[in-house]
Amino acid sequence: MAHRITDGLRQPLARIDAALNRLYGWRYNPLYHSGVLAAALLAVVMLTGLYLVFFWGIGAPYASVQRITTTVFLGRFARSLHRYASDAAVAAVVVHLLRVFLQRRTWGPRVLAWLTGFLLLGTVWIFGLTGYAMVWDVQGLALVREGARWLDALPLFSEPISRAFDGERAMPGAFFFLNLFAHVALPVALGVLFWLHVSRVARPHLLPPRGLLAAAVGLLVLASILVPVGMAPPADVLALPGAAPYDLFYAFFLPLTRGLSPWMVWLGALGLGAVILLVPALTRPRAEARPPSVVDERSCTGCEQCWLDCPYEAIRMVERTDGRPYLVARVDPSLCTSCGICAGSCAPMGVGPPGRTGKDQLAAARRFAAAHPAGAGDVVVVACRQSGGGAGAGELDGSPVFPVSCSGNLHSSVVELLVRSGAGGVLVVACPPRDCWSREGPVWLEQRLFMGREAELRSRVDPRRVRVVHAGEAERGVARAALREFREAVRSLAAAPAEDPGDLERECAVAPASPEPLGRWVPR
Amino acid sequence: MGAAVSGPVRAAAGWALAALATLAVVGLSRVPWAEERAAGAELRLAWRWKSERVRRCRTLSPAEVAKLPAHMRRTEDCQRGLRPWRLEVAVDGAAAADDTIRARGAESDRPLFVFRRVPVAPGSHVLQVRFSPVGEGGPPPVGLDTVVSVAARRAVLVTMEEDTGRLALRAAAP
Repeated sequence: MAHRITDGLRQPLARIDAALNRLYGWRYNPLYHSGVLAAALLAVVMLTGLYLVFFWGIGAPYASVQRITTTVFLGRFARSLHRYASDAAVAAVVVHLLRVFLQRRTWGPRVLAWLTGFLLLGTVWIFGLTGYAMVWDVQGLALVREGARWLDALPLFSEPISRAFDGERAMPGAFFFLNLFAHVALPVALGVLFWLHVSRVARPHLLPPRGLLAAAVGLLVLASILVPVGMAPPADVLALPGAAPYDLFYAFFLPLTRGLSPWMVWLGALGLGAVILLVPALTRPRAEARPPSVVDERSCTGCEQCWLDCPYEAIRMVERTDGRPYLVARVDPSLCTSCGICAGSCAPMGVGPPGRTGKDQLAAARRFAAAHPAGAGDVVVVACRQSGGGAGAGELDGSPVFPVSCSGNLHSSVVELLVRSGAGGVLVVACPPRDCWSREGPVWLEQRLFMGREAELRSRVDPRRVRVVHAGEAERGVARAALREFREAVRSLAAAPAEDPGDLERECAVAPASPEPLGRWVPR
Repeated sequence: MGAAVSGPVRAAAGWALAALATLAVVGLSRVPWAEERAAGAELRLAWRWKSERVRRCRTLSPAEVAKLPAHMRRTEDCQRGLRPWRLEVAVDGAAAADDTIRARGAESDRPLFVFRRVPVAPGSHVLQVRFSPVGEGGPPPVGLDTVVSVAARRAVLVTMEEDTGRLALRAAAP
């Protein structure tokens, strides 16, 4: 059921991604950077908030906000940017959560990120509500009253807190003090949650590309200058307010919940919470479909590359028990998402998910090359299953497609084998780097193929015969165009030398015990 | 590589879309909405009432006593707490509320709270409120029988004056 929902909804998302890639290129597609955009926008919120809080008064909240808006230097601008950035941050968080859900990146070690992501959204939301209460206008009163109505249904308070907002007595000053305290303290909670959110990933991205950040903040600055926020009517506990401006990013629930009893609201919230908790279990693939990586300790040379490359820090280097004087990789299955990136990083092909290690890939590539004999003018496509490379169809515009679970899973020896089997070139279709379901697959792939990152593509392979293109799920056209262009380039090259059939087998033989730790694997 | 911005038209479209998204943020941050759609009025009853402590006891029958464990047998079953009060409200002769207000808390010892919202049309209304103790021997009931005038989109509060113990009207926030 959950898989059907995610598969069904992912197609429109992939098409939107493709459209934005056409406009901005994948490097600046804001949807790919929604998580880090949210973090950056919240930083803007905190900076502007720091300025505003100096001018806000507990004793006269509405009057002080009015003063900020009308007389304080840059007050109206700072207030506008504070609001717009917080609104945009909510939108970015929602987009980020939706992407993660639709790509089913919610199970295994990613459960913590999934759950803390929702806690972050909830905290940002409460952060915003306390901010609106500080303005103490019509919207602030409506939000506070609705919240008080929900809380009064719980056996928490000895007296109903709704009484404070109904005119029976003067508004207690403690309310505004507590509200200010919450509004200032919540960023600390945000910081802790954010740390937890990224704690299980290696090398978390914390900022969007500079150009995207500048454009996003610049546009919000422009909006704050051209369309600044104004003052809504002040809160009056004995008035029944007419139409007033409400911020739908934070007050979206008011039209929905006002007609419901508080218990219905709590029931709905509990139901939503249960669904969020269940998502990791519902989206988890069958165990046999995503087996954790295993290490062939006889092949492991202790080079630490898999440990460096693992995007989820699922690999540790531990002491060996067989007397060899160097470390051996050990996979923690509870942290492994079966992305297979370690298989691409291991020159001796000693690690990876069963069926997708370098050796397994090489065997499959041999069968593939035998089944699809390619000539010097032909291009063979290697495609990540999540990309637009036609991995499911088995061919792309007449070129046979060798599928891999992630482009980072691809071992460079497979590329070498395909070239040396006679193909004129190998086109690897990878997802856009910031949209990799395994986080870092395309980045490591390019470094392994062209920049000498372990396990690198051997220098005996002409790099002109290998090309990488980034094409998202709905960007088959991009992959096709790259294939056409690459075919033209390949035809202009001389024929590749034929493969020595025993060469790669010898290279993958188990390394004998070495007296020295091996910094990097050396073919024998 | 990919389909990056390659021409001025595409760049212009990119900026236009970004501007549109920004405008959407601005627009959605100020959507007009009325908490109360109709231009009605409201009578609001809200007060805190410290009711007196009561103790109600009844004699247990021999059969009930026999059911109790030997070390817990007693002849009387007593319930303690604050006396509940009854709230009756009529607007223009029609009943708007008829409830028993009970004390909260596990021991029923928290103060009683009255909070009712009665929507009315703007204008003058005959308001009758009677707040009376439940059971025998309580203090005298409190009442209010008056004509109240409520403007459109305003609420008039009926509350208890703490110093006099009388119900009173309030039309502006304290």
